[in-house]
Amino acid sequence: MPITTSELVNNLSSSRRDFLKACTIAAAALGLSEAMIPRLVEAAANPQRPPVVWLHFQECTGCTESLVRGSHPDIARLILDIISLDYHETLMAAAGHQAEQQLQATLEKYPGKYLCVVEGGIPTKDNGIYCKIGGRTAMEILAEVAAKSAAVIAIGNCATYGGIQAADPNPTGAVGVWDLVHDVPVVNVAGCPPNPISFLGTVLHYLTFKRLPPTDKLGRPLFAYGRKIHDQCERRAHFDEGRYAEQFGDAGHLAGYCLYKVGCKGPATFSNCPAVRFNDVGVWPVGVGHGCIGCTEPGFWDTMTPFYERLPGIEIPGGRGIVTSADSAGKKILGIAGAAVGIHAVVGIGKRILKGKSDEDK
Amino acid sequence: MNYEKKYVWSVLFRLFHWAFVLSIVVLAVTGFYINDPWPNPWLAGSRGFPMADMRYYHFLAGYVFTAALLVRLFLYLFGNRHERILHALPVTPGKVKNIFTTMAYYGYVTDRHGEDLGHNTIAGIVYLFTYVAAAAQVVGGFYLLYPESAGWQAWGLKFFGTQQQARHMHHLLLWYFLFFALVHLYLVVWNDVKAPEGMISSIFNGYKFKPKHNGSAEG
Ligand code: HEM
Ligand code: SF4
Repeated sequence: MPITTSELVNNLSSSRRDFLKACTIAAAALGLSEAMIPRLVEAAANPQRPPVVWLHFQECTGCTESLVRGSHPDIARLILDIISLDYHETLMAAAGHQAEQQLQATLEKYPGKYLCVVEGGIPTKDNGIYCKIGGRTAMEILAEVAAKSAAVIAIGNCATYGGIQAADPNPTGAVGVWDLVHDVPVVNVAGCPPNPISFLGTVLHYLTFKRLPPTDKLGRPLFAYGRKIHDQCERRAHFDEGRYAEQFGDAGHLAGYCLYKVGCKGPATFSNCPAVRFNDVGVWPVGVGHGCIGCTEPGFWDTMTPFYERLPGIEIPGGRGIVTSADSAGKKILGIAGAAVGIHAVVGIGKRILKGKSDEDK
Repeated sequence: MNYEKKYVWSVLFRLFHWAFVLSIVVLAVTGFYINDPWPNPWLAGSRGFPMADMRYYHFLAGYVFTAALLVRLFLYLFGNRHERILHALPVTPGKVKNIFTTMAYYGYVTDRHGEDLGHNTIAGIVYLFTYVAAAAQVVGGFYLLYPESAGWQAWGLKFFGTQQQARHMHHLLLWYFLFFALVHLYLVVWNDVKAPEGMISSIFNGYKFKPKHNGSAEG
């Protein structure tokens, strides 16, 4: 007798209730109708779990950490239940050569079938020697593993856009996956770290519909990165009505006013944080009084800093890396122009006094 | 010296000019507010919407600004001869020479100046640059205004990068427009004081005055 979906669901290591709960959360994040949930559940409960190879390069493992947090066991377990994690340096039991053998075995057994998840940036300078695993550079490993995969999910700002190691002056020439991989579909689950639900939603979308979710021009799934933080923020009314925290700890801050003037980057950042929130306790940075730092955007270490100011400074050309605010530079240039105008006018008046009126005026 | 009255700026050109001026004033003031909203007395529940209002007027002026720029583009191609794009660019030996005559005139070296009815060549180049800057403001502005539109996203990413980079550039260009306004205002007043050719009134009524002696004026 064939096994039914419900039996399978009941046999999974997480309880049926948790399993359905997590599927429902993911369906909501994906913007799917309730009617789609059974399909999602069916796809998630398919005994043919897709093998997944999870590569770690230049990273801090924070993305994995936030994904497998104990605070949301349903989500972590669901991810581990619906996929067959064949290779993941942090979570796998095997180590050393054994681990590398396991990787090779997966590549040989499931060519074109497995999902490749990448966490971390890939250094490209000097032939990529700045990140090596088992004697091979990150570039070599990625080139081999990605090419044979069905699709690549880049997780975190490092794997998507290079992350902190790509910050100016980017000493190792770090780049994101989609700068190197062009032959297989790549989806960018951006963030530092991304919300686990955005990752789960991407995987479930792939399992249910057999393709990656639609993305914006930066390769990010629209269901999670389609709208600006600022347009979904609970403090938005304060923004529109001109009530701002002027500094941390002032009366406006305590009253929960908008964090725009203490550098919130919500107006320039695409993510579902205000809607989906973190850690199963309904929190997110702006909710707890800290401005958004724009971690889902390419190059945010360069363009979103200083974190507590609206706009980045500008480097004085030819200077020794002196950075000033755009406005102070603007005021100086305008001041110099004003002085030049004044001098020009004074010269004209002086000449007229000395020489009398020009012929033309007579 | 005898002067004759010459019709230079068409009605459409003058309309463009004043729409451009007014929209820039509104855009600069509201732009500064959007960047750094000055503290205000509104308290929660007092039904004031300063930021929402400022943004609204910014966008309204942004559309006027865009329309003005499009009109100028039209005049560059189909305007009268003073308004067309090649009129004041260094495309003929005479127009190249005009650069040096103008520099000498502005540098108090001589009181003789090119009898250009429209712009002098330096002005022509600076204006063209200003319209390019204006086009960048428009593309950047609409990219910020419609962040979810795939079309603007493609353009914005190509020219500016992320939303934050576009905002940064949008803000830096604000300072260019202030700089331009300062120098532009000074120079028209200076020209108007130097020679009684009606430089300032021409942008209201369209007429300039040129010395009669050497027949037709160049340009
Ligand atoms: C001379 C022309 C313009 C100037 C000087 C100007 C100036 C500014 C400034 C200073 C800001 C604040 C940016 C920041 O510091 O974060 C701003 C924001 C903005 N501008 Fe402009 N702007 C101009 C034209 C336009 C145009 C043509 C549009 C298109 C409709 C536009 C749309 C916007 C938008 C959407 C924002 C962001 C507002 C927000 O998200 O709250 N601007 N502008
Ligand atoms: S706190 Fe940030 S995201 Fe929220 S309304 Fe203010 S500026 Fe926008």
